Amino acid sequence: MIAATQNALSATGITKRFGGLVALADVDLTVGNGEFVALIGPNGAGKSTLLNVLTGLSAPTAGRIALDGRDVTRLPTHRRIRAGLGRTFQHGRLFPRLSVVENIMTGAANRAGRGEAGLRAHALAQLRRMGLERLADQPISALSYGNRRMVELTRVLACEPRVLLLDEPAAGLNLGEVEDLMARLRAIRAEDRIAVVLIEHNMGMVMRLAERVVVLNFGRKIAEGTPAEVQADPAVLAAYLGEGAAHAGR
Amino acid sequence: MADLIQLLTNGLALGSVYALAAIGFVIVYSATGVVNFAAGQFVMLGTFAGVATLVNAGWPLPVGYAGALALMALFGLLFYAVVYLPLGRSPVVTIIIGTVAIGITLQNAALLTFGSWPFRLPSPVEGMMLEVAGAVIPVHAVAVVVATAVLIGLMWLLLNRTALGIAMRAVAQDAKTARLMGLRVNALLAFTWVLAAVLAGIAGLMLGPMWFADVNMGDPIALKAFAATIIGGFGSLPGAIAGGLFVGLAEVLGASYVSSAYKDLIAFGAMILFLLLRPQGVFGERIQDRG
Repeated sequence: MIAATQNALSATGITKRFGGLVALADVDLTVGNGEFVALIGPNGAGKSTLLNVLTGLSAPTAGRIALDGRDVTRLPTHRRIRAGLGRTFQHGRLFPRLSVVENIMTGAANRAGRGEAGLRAHALAQLRRMGLERLADQPISALSYGNRRMVELTRVLACEPRVLLLDEPAAGLNLGEVEDLMARLRAIRAEDRIAVVLIEHNMGMVMRLAERVVVLNFGRKIAEGTPAEVQADPAVLAAYLGEGAAHAGR
Repeated sequence: MADLIQLLTNGLALGSVYALAAIGFVIVYSATGVVNFAAGQFVMLGTFAGVATLVNAGWPLPVGYAGALALMALFGLLFYAVVYLPLGRSPVVTIIIGTVAIGITLQNAALLTFGSWPFRLPSPVEGMMLEVAGAVIPVHAVAVVVATAVLIGLMWLLLNRTALGIAMRAVAQDAKTARLMGLRVNALLAFTWVLAAVLAGIAGLMLGPMWFADVNMGDPIALKAFAATIIGGFGSLPGAIAGGLFVGLAEVLGASYVSSAYKDLIAFGAMILFLLLRPQGVFGERIQDRG
């Protein structure tokens, strides 16, 4: 396929069954170079499962995944990360007994041959860029919730991904922190041309950041388009608000 | 006074060996969640690796030590590949029972290979004595304490000041996230087993000249290292060191001042008290802090 070689990330026909439960049914997801795609859908729609399949934490029942046109479907997680994939979790997963800078060094370790001093310098540079250098030697337990999320974002950026998968990065943040996060995501994209797949329930954030929105429901893709198109889609309204609301909206 | 200095030195030397065995035990436990019941046999194997290279093969000391530790490193790698990796997806209890099986196998393999007659493993400072304040102490005991202190310093540097060590700690805390950082989790786990085996090997080589090299020596060491980790705090490296030294001192002082029949009572009594009153040990962290 020609499209596969042009996209930063291309997943085709992804199906994931857990026993009799179909978590994902023939889902396609393509992300262009530097493109910002939002992945939305009600709880249980399969969004996080899709990220698990993309990163290799969970093997798909069927389907194919390509990064920059290279088939990674059978690669283990750490090799996909080295090939340019980055991912954060819905519930922060910092290493609890490493300091902030050490946490970020683990992300940078993915680029071989830097040595401890090189990794530390790289990690500190990443922290400085995010305005977090004062936290470098803090233990994770001393950080506020908002700072933990920011450190996690810094850590995944230290992996230098070409495609960044963010699982509800704004969950639990206050309004000011959400604005801050959005500004950072915009800056990261403008400077690094990283493609982003964002799972988010905060629709304001989705509408303001995403170029394209993909909607999942019960493991199927039910809509795809610009934020405005998706917002007006009756199938999406039905999924979010129930069948009656969609009719009432007409 | 002279007696006390002598006893303290011997106690610290024995405690150092227990501490090294306990450290090997703790790094495996923190990285994999596996309680390695073969840990004592690892130390026994270290002693007999020394018997094989130094006594049976008659290699000169530096070559013999290097050879014995290389054998232990290979053994750690084999243990990872043949025991841990195939059982990796099983419940942790299955792996623990696997370590019991390997422990029994190792003990009997050593019995078949070396026989039940104990060996004497020489020390590089064999027979040398030091006089301090009227007390005569074996140089070997002092060397053991110094070598252990250096090793502990090196371990600290490895875990805190190298990229490899930071990656090892990350894997120990959350292997799934470590994979998502692009870390080679399997290679790091293999290295953890190798490191544990080499530390046990060093403990075995140091213990050999203090005891007789006997194929049944692994059992008491396992029990002492286990007591040391419970007293110090399960999963804690400073705890393993403090616990090991305590158990060694308690054993030597207890044998001399109480009775050699009751020398183990102090260490195991302390272990039981800790289990009852402070199960997290001296340096133990609250259970919810574990990643």
